[in-house]
Amino acid sequence: MAYDYQAVHALDGTIGAISERRANHLAVHRATAIAVVLAAPGQTAEAAGILVANGEFEARFSGPGEWLILSEVHAPETLCAELSVRLGDFAFVIDQSHGRVALTLAGPDAARILANGIAIDLHADVFPVGRAANVLCNHLSVNLARTAADSFDLVVMRSFAEALVDDLKTMARSHELSVDFATR
Amino acid sequence: MASLIPCPHCGTRPRQEFSVRGDATPVRPAPMAADEVWNDYMHVRANPRGRIREHWQHIAGCRRWLVVERDNFTHEVFSVSDASLEQGGAR
Repeated sequence: MAYDYQAVHALDGTIGAISERRANHLAVHRATAIAVVLAAPGQTAEAAGILVANGEFEARFSGPGEWLILSEVHAPETLCAELSVRLGDFAFVIDQSHGRVALTLAGPDAARILANGIAIDLHADVFPVGRAANVLCNHLSVNLARTAADSFDLVVMRSFAEALVDDLKTMARSHELSVDFATR
Repeated sequence: MASLIPCPHCGTRPRQEFSVRGDATPVRPAPMAADEVWNDYMHVRANPRGRIREHWQHIAGCRRWLVVERDNFTHEVFSVSDASLEQGGAR
């Protein structure tokens, strides 16, 4: 028997009903290619050198010798193939495009909203643009990265995405926040 | 005040991001060691007050195992290092 498989985003049907855009906006990315790279034992420096940011993908620190790679240019299949070719024996690459959800929180109060649930210092001097960290957001572990002075990227496991959006809405109750899928 | 643990990879983080395993001082005996030695290793623990060494895992952060030296009475943290350094540092 043949099956037709359909890709459904983890947040389909839970957001996007209200199109109004407010000062702070949480954009959920539909098709970001995501991969996890783990350096082979003793090869951390070599892998890090190959992963230096370029126009095609962005590497975000998640642990020693471990990065989260995001790409808006590549499709999930081509990102993994590209990384495997570049990294060779220096690292292991695992596709997470359908396993994680990427969100962007942007707006003048973005850092204040995040500070309601995240226990790290988000001041621009301590957590500058380009810095990334795995942090606890309420009870969920997320990868947080600063992409601009008032813009943050969050990457969370797929099954926690709905809970994270609910948490962020609660964290933003004293600020203006709208939530929708990103258009690109 | 929150209990803070300075992770060598992630910086200072709240205790809630970590999971504690227990005493880091017992050394695993040889496979064929006497039953009494294995019994001590498995089940017998000192319960000191003051400065102790423990294994903690940074579950919500880098997910690395750490050796935390702290005071279990005041929760003052003296030192934190990656557990792999004890075995020659694979990473």
